[in-house]
Amino acid sequence: MLTEREIIATLDMLRNENLDVRTVTLGVSLFDCASDDAGRFIDHVRAKISRLAANFVDVCDEVGLRYGIPVVNKRISVSPIAVAACAASPEEMVAIAAALDDLARGLRIDFIGGFGALVEKGFTRGDRALIESLPEALAKTGRVCSSINVATTRAGINMDAVSLMGRTIKRAAELTADRDGLGCAKLVVFANIPQDVPFMAGAYLGVGEPDAVINIGVSGPGVVKKAIDRARAANPGLDLGQLSEIIKRTAFKVTRVGELIGRQVAKKLDIPFGVADLSLAPTPNVGDSVGEIFQSLGLKSIGNPGSTAVLAMLNDAVKKGGIFASSHVGGLSGAFIPVSEDLNIAEAARKGHLSLEKLEAMTSVCSVGLDMVALPGDTSAATISGIIADEMAIGVINSKATAARLIPVPGKKAGERASFGGLLGEATIMNAPDDGGSDGFISLGGRIPAPVQSFKN
Amino acid sequence: MKKIVVFVLGPDRTGIIAAVSKTLFDQGCNLEDVSQTILQTEFVGIFIASMADEGNEDEVLSALRARIGSLGLFVHLRPVEELPAAGGQTGEPFVITTVGADRPGLMAGVTEVLARYGANITSLKAVSRGEENQHDYVMIFEADIPSAVNLSAFRSALCGRAEELGLDISLQHREIFEELNRV
Repeated sequence: MLTEREIIATLDMLRNENLDVRTVTLGVSLFDCASDDAGRFIDHVRAKISRLAANFVDVCDEVGLRYGIPVVNKRISVSPIAVAACAASPEEMVAIAAALDDLARGLRIDFIGGFGALVEKGFTRGDRALIESLPEALAKTGRVCSSINVATTRAGINMDAVSLMGRTIKRAAELTADRDGLGCAKLVVFANIPQDVPFMAGAYLGVGEPDAVINIGVSGPGVVKKAIDRARAANPGLDLGQLSEIIKRTAFKVTRVGELIGRQVAKKLDIPFGVADLSLAPTPNVGDSVGEIFQSLGLKSIGNPGSTAVLAMLNDAVKKGGIFASSHVGGLSGAFIPVSEDLNIAEAARKGHLSLEKLEAMTSVCSVGLDMVALPGDTSAATISGIIADEMAIGVINSKATAARLIPVPGKKAGERASFGGLLGEATIMNAPDDGGSDGFISLGGRIPAPVQSFKN
Repeated sequence: MKKIVVFVLGPDRTGIIAAVSKTLFDQGCNLEDVSQTILQTEFVGIFIASMADEGNEDEVLSALRARIGSLGLFVHLRPVEELPAAGGQTGEPFVITTVGADRPGLMAGVTEVLARYGANITSLKAVSRGEENQHDYVMIFEADIPSAVNLSAFRSALCGRAEELGLDISLQHREIFEELNRV
């Protein structure tokens, strides 16, 4: 028999704390769709995804209803298109992106990820074609997301790719100038990208993954914040050790929910369950913010001195609780600090509490990186590449995933607002130092060698 | 061996279980299952015990009445029929929770829908929410819902009734509570 306390506490998490499953992501390998003819490749992709995902959204809704836990997003990740469609030209790559977009719309999938490439050591013909196609592909589609991995701890940083991505981001922003550079909000540059990320824009299905797999992303930060607030209200004397214990226990609960729903969806679709990604992913809704957790832990605002320490503790506690709750943990697993997608973080940036530099420092202990950062429209490609290179270095040296999703908003300056709509939210444009000071460094190109993994100091 | 069931009802006080179990023991009965509950001031206990085939139920009942009748308790005893194992209908355990202002007719209104769909209530608790929301009355039903029942039709019937009664209602598979709260 369940106790009434267990039942009422669970209901409270659902009703007042935004407990949900943030995403169920169906991974689909496209390697068996390969063809030297782009039209045939598209036909194969359409047939395979339509077959595997025909009931995907309905099954997610049905399972969500059964447990009373909403599955907020239903998504698809595919093999890196630059590999699966290696022979395609840039024009054909755009056609492939359009076909993926149509498929997603038809299947009621909000985002489809994997229109990407892995170029940490160099480019294939397909990688070059895909990256060249990105600005147009992202402008012409609404649901296609792209991730480009330019660095790993084992390979170092491909600075030619970093430079190319700076230029590509600028061009993608120009082609979506009427939408504040929205194309860039669907494009993320990675170091050490995990193969099983269920969250967008980074989601793709790695080459070592099965033919089809269900990965899930657990609930957001609202539940953690409320748990901290409740505990502190009941006992104002709690210290950080005790509060991290509260976060750990809460992470355990939200992960159990995610894992249960993911496994049920996988079972009904007869597709293996992959991993639970233990990331605290905010949405631009009140009460669903990572930034607010910083305030619950005693800081006036995210960005104040102490923020990196808070984020480190939060990230670690979430992982500890989640790992115990799930048999297979993967993806990014940590806290996201996407500026525009989190009301509180966006507000901290607007008020000047959070600078680009502090944000970068915080990414050394969080799971993602410089995420959804709006920059002045006239920021040069070399400066953008410089910011990316710094972010990649943090990931490569610390053997962790980091990423940069930067949006130089055309025609707008620091302090102005950019709006990307829906989950992508809106943000005040941050100040980026841009006096041409990075040009010389970025123009050198080549590859920064892989770092030594001992002598950690 | 045969089985008997003993029901004991009345105002709660200390020593009821001790008196009943001692009497049953003295009468050569072996207790198998016992459940008791207290609502406000009232006690109810159900005792299932086995006894020798040649034992006399009337004697046991008389002994119980003699021992606890003076405490103001009502005692009833009857033989338990061994039922054949339940077959056929299978069901799944769901938890139905309602929250809302207390008023007459809430329990009758909600349980009518459960009965209509053949949902068997296995546990039921109705509690006041406590300090913060004193006017909130919470009913928690655990019920087995037959597999043949169309869950969305059942859900809409429940939601419709809840709306009429001014209640916030939820219907969730029991597994979610176990996953969340138990290791």
